[in-house]
Amino acid sequence: MYIGTENLSHIYMPGTPYATKALDEVSFSVGEGDFALLIGPSGSGKSTLIQHLNGLLKPTGGRVVFEDLELGAENVDLLSLRKRVGLVFQMAEEHFFSETVYDEVAFAPRNLGLEEDLVEQNVRSALENVGLDWQEVCHRHPFQLSSGQKRLVALAAVLSIKPEVLILDEPTAGLDPGGRLHLFDLLRMLNQQTGLTVLVCTHHMDEVAALADKVLVLNRGKVVMAGPAPDIFARRQELNDLGLSLPEITEVMHCLAKKGLPARTDIYTLEQARAEINSLKRRLKK
Amino acid sequence: MKSRPEILIEARELAYRYPGEENISSPAVYGVNLSVKRGEYVSLIGPNGSGKTTLLKLFNALLAPTEGEVLVEGISTTEEEKQVEIRRSCGMIFQNPDNQLVATTVEEDIAFGLENLELPSSEIRKRVEKVSSALGLKHLLKHPPHMLSGGEKGRVAIAGILAMQPSCILMDEPTAMLDSKSRQDVLGAVRHLNREQGLAVVHVTHFPEEAARADRVVIIDQGRLIEQGPPSVIMNKLQLLHQLGLQGTAPSELAALLRKDGFSIPEEILNCQELVQSLCTSELKI
Repeated sequence: MYIGTENLSHIYMPGTPYATKALDEVSFSVGEGDFALLIGPSGSGKSTLIQHLNGLLKPTGGRVVFEDLELGAENVDLLSLRKRVGLVFQMAEEHFFSETVYDEVAFAPRNLGLEEDLVEQNVRSALENVGLDWQEVCHRHPFQLSSGQKRLVALAAVLSIKPEVLILDEPTAGLDPGGRLHLFDLLRMLNQQTGLTVLVCTHHMDEVAALADKVLVLNRGKVVMAGPAPDIFARRQELNDLGLSLPEITEVMHCLAKKGLPARTDIYTLEQARAEINSLKRRLKK
Repeated sequence: MKSRPEILIEARELAYRYPGEENISSPAVYGVNLSVKRGEYVSLIGPNGSGKTTLLKLFNALLAPTEGEVLVEGISTTEEEKQVEIRRSCGMIFQNPDNQLVATTVEEDIAFGLENLELPSSEIRKRVEKVSSALGLKHLLKHPPHMLSGGEKGRVAIAGILAMQPSCILMDEPTAMLDSKSRQDVLGAVRHLNREQGLAVVHVTHFPEEAARADRVVIIDQGRLIEQGPPSVIMNKLQLLHQLGLQGTAPSELAALLRKDGFSIPEEILNCQELVQSLCTSELKI
């Protein structure tokens, strides 16, 4: 296993009348270099789960495994886990506190005790990796940036520790369609070119469905589905019953199939749909 | 309710500059003429930073115009002694419901605005009862709001506004954080009140499929009103939308690609049903 959990359980406020079992014996794994998607209705335990993966929460039962590290055991080295597993929170730019973009992005590597010239190198490559002109933005106040740019800086602020695994909670919330596409293009590039393992937790499947290798579905703190993306997306009715929906474009293909047309439904992008409908037209003519 | 075709909100040559931005060439909002009729559902779309939220705040008298004026039910938003009245008739739902939930139980939260209006407690009780059953919150009245799911919080925020019996609600991306079921719950409740009780809605959204369900779509870019009209027209102006970093709905985008491939599909496709219907009756007829 590269990163994942074994029988992970988490109870909030244990021993009180408000005790809530947020995770119930969750076991899953994501392979090195995978692009994985974590989905589930509100309150299903997604945020609780990802907070375990970089040691922000401790398991009530079971364990988190990342290569040779094991969280849940005694004397676990949390710092080395957090150096290697980066977490981008929901609306991460709301937590900005530095005066300049440079200091914001430099905060984590400095905190980890890196030498200042190495910090600068990391800040520079992180800002370049998210497609920002580092000379232009590094002395600006983070609040002077557009929302799309702020989100990219928030991403850079985690990339600056050079994580091996990047976890993002609802990374495109509040972004316009152009901003959403840009962010996911970037994540795909990082995943494919640098082998970064990516785990995205989201409610909006439209842009991300085509990128995912693997999908994990949570409901009421339990893993209810896990597997390769096409296998999971094929279970449309079960997903709908959980209050989850497929990308709009996939819905179009399902509607065609329901009309009795022999249309493929494992379609997640406009171009795939265009090609399939053209091919369908040719097949019907014959 | 729709027998009074009067103008509810009217912006005339509206402009707004944030304090400290006097030297920046483009104001946050500029030269906007826009009116919202009683009972109308208007969607505002535009890239991040285009001025949509600023516009909502101007409608709600949270900001005062630097030029031009906003009239709400005929009253200028600069009349300070009328601002409470304006905010009661035009209630605001913020992007994140956590920002507007203040009390320790759902019922107290819904009653908060009414208590501020110094209504008699029998009246408060009646209104809380009414809105909580309209929004499906009756079973949650004694619960603490922060323990609810995102969709439930969204509905509590809306209930608190609706209890004030507004003529209009202004919603700033109310679904950014919600799963698909909760999105349908929140927007379904608003849509119902719009259709059944003539509640006017101004809805800022980044999701084309949400904008497509409005009576009218308004495009804002760089603080200016660029274009407005029925969704079937505006959401099919794909060249303009793409230039601004926006998108049509997935079915309208797919229809445009298929037209390029020689498919004959009507110009005003908005949703899955329309596209599938059109394809099945002509190009993909079995």
